[in-house]
Amino acid sequence: MLTGSKTTFKVRQMLPDIKERMLSQSGGTARSRDMFGLRCLPGECVLQRALMVRKKLTAREGRGWMSGTLFCTHFRVAFVPQDAPKPDDNTDPVLLGDHDVALALIEKVVVVGPNRTKLVSPNSSLKFTPEELLLYCRDMRVICFLFDRLTPDAQVLEITYTIAKTYQPLKPGSVLSFQNAALGSVEMKQFLSNRRRDAHMNWFESASDWEQELERCGATTWRVSSVNDRFEMSTSLSRFIVVPQKVLDTELKKSFAHFNEGRIPRWCWRHPRGSDLLRMSSFQNNIYHEKDDIRNLEMVLFGCQSSLCVVVELGDELPSPADIQLAHSRLRTLCLGDVSTSVSVPDDKWLSTLESTHWLDHIRLCLRKASEVACLLRSGHLTVALQEPEDRDMSCVVSSLVQVMSDPHYRSQHGFQSLVQKEWVMAGHRFYSRNNYHRDNDKEEAPVFLLFLDCVWQLWFQFPSRFQLTADFLLALHDSIHLPLFSTFLANCQRERCKRSQNLGQSYTPVNGWRDALPPDSPSDPSDPPLPPVWDWALQYGADRRACFTQPVPPTPPLQPLLNGNLNTKPDAHRPADSAPGSVFLLSRGSFTCPANLPPWRSSASGVYKKSHRRAPSTENVPGLERLLKAWSLTATVGPQGPADAYEPLLPLLMGPCMGLWRECYLRGALHAQAFSHPVSSNHLHPVERLAQDVQQLKDKLAQLSPGTDLDPPAVTPESRRTDANLNQNTNNATFLFSASKPRSVGRAAAPPASVSRAPPPSSRPGGKDFGGSNKHTFLFGHSSGADGRGDSRYHPLPNAKLPKSNGSSLAS
Amino acid sequence: MEKSGSFESLGSKPSSSRQPSVDSLSSASTSDRSAQAKPPSALSSDSMSTSTEFSPELRVKPKSTAKVRLRNSDKEEPQVLPNETEQEKAQDATYLCPIAGALQGTVMLTNYRLFFKSIDREPAFMLDMPLGVVRRLDIYRTHREVSFTIICKDTRNFQFLQKHPTDPLKKSIFEALPKFAFPVSNGLQLFAFHYDQVFPENGWKVYDALAEYKRQGIPNESWRITKVNDRYELCETYPAALVVPVNIPDDELKKVASFRGKGRIPVLSWIHPESQATVTRCSQPMVGVNGKRSKEDEKYLQAIMDANAQSHKLFIFDARPNVSAVANKMKGGGFESEDAYQNAELVFLDIHNIHVMRESLRKVKEAIYPNIDDAHWLANLESTHWLEHIKLILAGALRIADKVESGKTSVVVHCSDGWDRTTQLTSLSMLMLDGYYRTIRGFEILIEKEWLSFGHRFQQRIGHGDKNYTDAERSPVFVQFVDCVWQLTRQFPSAFEFNEYFLITILEHLFTCLFGTFLCNCEQQRLKEEIPKKTVSLWSYINSQLEEFTNPFYVNYSNHVLFPVVSLRHLELWTSYYIRWNPSMRPQESVHQRYKELLAKRAELQKRVDELKREAANRSASSSSERPSSPTRSVTPVQTFV
Repeated sequence: MLTGSKTTFKVRQMLPDIKERMLSQSGGTARSRDMFGLRCLPGECVLQRALMVRKKLTAREGRGWMSGTLFCTHFRVAFVPQDAPKPDDNTDPVLLGDHDVALALIEKVVVVGPNRTKLVSPNSSLKFTPEELLLYCRDMRVICFLFDRLTPDAQVLEITYTIAKTYQPLKPGSVLSFQNAALGSVEMKQFLSNRRRDAHMNWFESASDWEQELERCGATTWRVSSVNDRFEMSTSLSRFIVVPQKVLDTELKKSFAHFNEGRIPRWCWRHPRGSDLLRMSSFQNNIYHEKDDIRNLEMVLFGCQSSLCVVVELGDELPSPADIQLAHSRLRTLCLGDVSTSVSVPDDKWLSTLESTHWLDHIRLCLRKASEVACLLRSGHLTVALQEPEDRDMSCVVSSLVQVMSDPHYRSQHGFQSLVQKEWVMAGHRFYSRNNYHRDNDKEEAPVFLLFLDCVWQLWFQFPSRFQLTADFLLALHDSIHLPLFSTFLANCQRERCKRSQNLGQSYTPVNGWRDALPPDSPSDPSDPPLPPVWDWALQYGADRRACFTQPVPPTPPLQPLLNGNLNTKPDAHRPADSAPGSVFLLSRGSFTCPANLPPWRSSASGVYKKSHRRAPSTENVPGLERLLKAWSLTATVGPQGPADAYEPLLPLLMGPCMGLWRECYLRGALHAQAFSHPVSSNHLHPVERLAQDVQQLKDKLAQLSPGTDLDPPAVTPESRRTDANLNQNTNNATFLFSASKPRSVGRAAAPPASVSRAPPPSSRPGGKDFGGSNKHTFLFGHSSGADGRGDSRYHPLPNAKLPKSNGSSLAS
Repeated sequence: MEKSGSFESLGSKPSSSRQPSVDSLSSASTSDRSAQAKPPSALSSDSMSTSTEFSPELRVKPKSTAKVRLRNSDKEEPQVLPNETEQEKAQDATYLCPIAGALQGTVMLTNYRLFFKSIDREPAFMLDMPLGVVRRLDIYRTHREVSFTIICKDTRNFQFLQKHPTDPLKKSIFEALPKFAFPVSNGLQLFAFHYDQVFPENGWKVYDALAEYKRQGIPNESWRITKVNDRYELCETYPAALVVPVNIPDDELKKVASFRGKGRIPVLSWIHPESQATVTRCSQPMVGVNGKRSKEDEKYLQAIMDANAQSHKLFIFDARPNVSAVANKMKGGGFESEDAYQNAELVFLDIHNIHVMRESLRKVKEAIYPNIDDAHWLANLESTHWLEHIKLILAGALRIADKVESGKTSVVVHCSDGWDRTTQLTSLSMLMLDGYYRTIRGFEILIEKEWLSFGHRFQQRIGHGDKNYTDAERSPVFVQFVDCVWQLTRQFPSAFEFNEYFLITILEHLFTCLFGTFLCNCEQQRLKEEIPKKTVSLWSYINSQLEEFTNPFYVNYSNHVLFPVVSLRHLELWTSYYIRWNPSMRPQESVHQRYKELLAKRAELQKRVDELKREAANRSASSSSERPSSPTRSVTPVQTFV
């Protein structure tokens, strides 16, 4: 992929020996981007490095310490383990290695010296030599480096200062320089412009994308309208919207004015039983209404259904963005502790403090609302319209949760990515403002998307085998939000993404506007490629990590790409009897009403417009609808649904004890939670991995022995590998230390045979070598072997915890 | 009833635990489809086959040896156990379910269980409760009805109503209940003595003290096995075989015994195979207010220290809070003063006594049954302090394990009597230190050794068949220990050979009195009552169907020490045990079923490896001329569990 082999390095390195080595490197034609073991991005400069540093490993990584070299470049703080394999120059660049932190992710730099802790700011000077360096990150990681006594003091101080000076606390302008540091080089631009977009997912950018979705859902009575092609009708909506087939664009145009920001009711998704999910903003009250307006609205709402429409109000019951922001910042403080005072909540107050953040309450509310909507939809043949004043926050959460619950397609990685494109990116969730990358708009900041991810995690946690994506994927997405590099999150709506691509008039424009981050006055170079979308995971993560994003074995009910829209195998007994067509009900605070004045103008004024061609909503349908909702609480008591019906929504349990804390995400940095820092090595292969390895090695051996025979090795190995990942990802247990660490080792399964060769006999086992010489015993007693009759089957830890990664392709291929 | 049939019923037993749960609305009509395929799952982990398997009697264990008999789908009675006999039956009872409301139905009382069935609603509602779980019965009579409250030893309560029988001579069925619920108080035998199921495995053979000490390498040059307690004369609550330092003769042991509470001298529980550091357990020294000393006891502890050449220090872990230890001096007990015991360091572990633990679990029950206050759930949970107690126990065990493992120092553990907190601490630290105890058989041995043989007073703490519910000796010490084990399994999911269902099954039969394992207070009593002869061991039942209890993620980390994180941030309430009765807490997916599939998958892979190995061996044999000695296989064999 990487085309340019130009290797021009800008090195602003002070140490002379490094300079010399640099010279020798750039002199040749070597394509190596390797600097002292660190594989640099094109154009990346190493500013400082420190040798003999140990990194504290999280529980997920196996705990303990790992020795290596610490680098600070102008893009990241990188850590290269001592025994890391030599980087392969021919692979595509990956922005961040497994142990790296982007500078933009660092929120605070703290050093720990003898008996003291100090927050380091760009200007501070240290009066002591730090022993530990703590990097508090925005994504709730805390990365801890320990300086060895052998690390030269000068290096320690220098790298601390360098990090403190360059870590770029987010402020206006810093995002741009960060982007430039990461992606600004010529090679990188060239590389990016050659990237292809993932064709497996639906980007919802073109009319055909939407048509594909309509087809997938079997929503035949809807059409894609390009009435908003130039964003003239609504600035925050996407270029294409889906409306009923029978509504003409001219009729449609009259509706925009009656909705806040012109966000008219639009189709989002169709349940296989024929219910449609719509989204809209609240009505504009103070506008003169013509007779046709009501008819138009009704057309839009009832365009494809003759029966019921339920408007679900999201405004009052769900947390506001401000609530979410407050809860999240409390959660953050609780999980990370207060850095400046290094005070953390005492253990005995942990539970009540966690509760008082209300984070879990907010999740519960969102899931409950989504469950209600999913229950309404599954009854079939009605229209549910989600209404939120702005239609850009909680309706994104609820509509996408409903779809994750109800549609197996959206529980796959690509499906989920499409869903985020549809309900968040294209629907105009204000990622840019909510993330507040520039720290210039604190009022708007709210991690609504993170709340959504946590909701999905809760669903995953309760239904692990119904998801094709994994918690690893959710975690990766969670972390990526904080990296201001992706077009996905760097704009508030499609229009903004397109704005700088200046080709608004064209029928199709690439919309990943990389310009957005640029200050308005900066000259834009039209040849620059757009910023990459977050979905280009290969930019961020190596193949090992990406392999853990999905369950290799598909969930039991096979995903059906096409939901043929009118699945009605199981007519629902609770379905309200034939109702008057066109009744509109309002679901608010858990009860249904049939408002006389739902569209506010209907009751107003002269009564001329009262006469609608639809019947007035009849109250008698209310009990029927309430039964639909009760069906949910009943399901909660009766138990899980049958496995057969893939379209039954996944209704989560929402009682207090069922709401889990996403520990792998929020408690990653909780250093204080470690009682002892003994390495509990989990770097052993899982039995199934070992079996896979066995099979592979035996096959290799067979192949060696009989060179003429074709053994077709891949037939077996992939399966065994997959099973392993499945073992780890498919149960609730995957949340815990050991198995959680497992998926990472999947890719390492194919270590060269030598390194897995029978471990040394118990007596000579180097008990302390784990993780570079921390002399804590991971394993202790070599029972005199055979004493328990299992001597042979014991698995001896490898002398080196980290397996070399070379050869990793032999299995993966 | 023929054997095979009853065997199946046994398979369904664990589920009976969870079934009674209430409101598991189980449909009898759809049942037999899944009946065959479903394991008995007390683990409330089934999702796929939904309501069908909630009725215990419908679960037939898929055991290849036993004939699987399809059950009639309209079967109304629970499958009775061997020698289980129906005592009473009534048609007109009402069960006041806290969740589903009042239910009319039939009650059947046997000498083992209370079975209620209501066909008021579809699917039929059933409740199946072994009488062993009854802690307390309250009868309240009005002029029209008898109201009956059953308070259980686990986290449930039941309330029944029955109209006064029209026949004045006939009594309500519930009047007969106390007689069978509390057989011991009514001069009857526990059901375990009637139950005579035969299993392929004999659980009473699982633990052999001498074999276990031999596994640990004892006797050796520093430790010997003494027979001084052969007739339980030295200490009646200790087992017959004791391990003591070599250089302390038996008559000195007697002097030490007189200085230790209830004669429970320090004896070895576990020895480190490399460093020879030991875990020893005992009761408190009888120091008293005057600070009595005992030359023999001091010498004895010195001998324990000397047995470990690696360290010149001995750690004495007193499980109690400092104040309680001081208060015990008033009662003649106390703790070792560091003046008297040279080189010993005394550490208090701050774990509270059985009364505090009982109260704490009672509060947990209040918080979870019948209803949970979602809005204040975590705060309520915190105010029970249950997790804090769990944390202190785990932290104590962790310190012990750390001293032995990292410090290579021997430790002595005691509390007051040395049979509650001490047992928890030694068994948990052994579980962390020695991977053998993390296997199914090893864990059974651990319970047999540390809990049963060393005299944890199960009869007193549980009160089998005893109507005296106010007894201050009751306490959930063992439940708490299993909870701690569960917390460990959560943190190290692949380090244990057993699964959660195994732990729940053990706790279930702690109360049911179906098996003899947890009867009586100590080894001496058990022999006197001839428990092994007259009853069936729980391990017989478990070891006869290991596949139900095996954790598919198990990796044999036998030479790893587990150091758990003992922060409340990483501890959780064991909801799948304590709240398994609540129908809305039912897990959404059948983990249990999944586990079995994974085990099968693993076996399949293992088979493939074996085949390939054979093939490789064949070929290398045939081409041996080229490669006389092919490089030794670099792969450690993997054991299979299936």
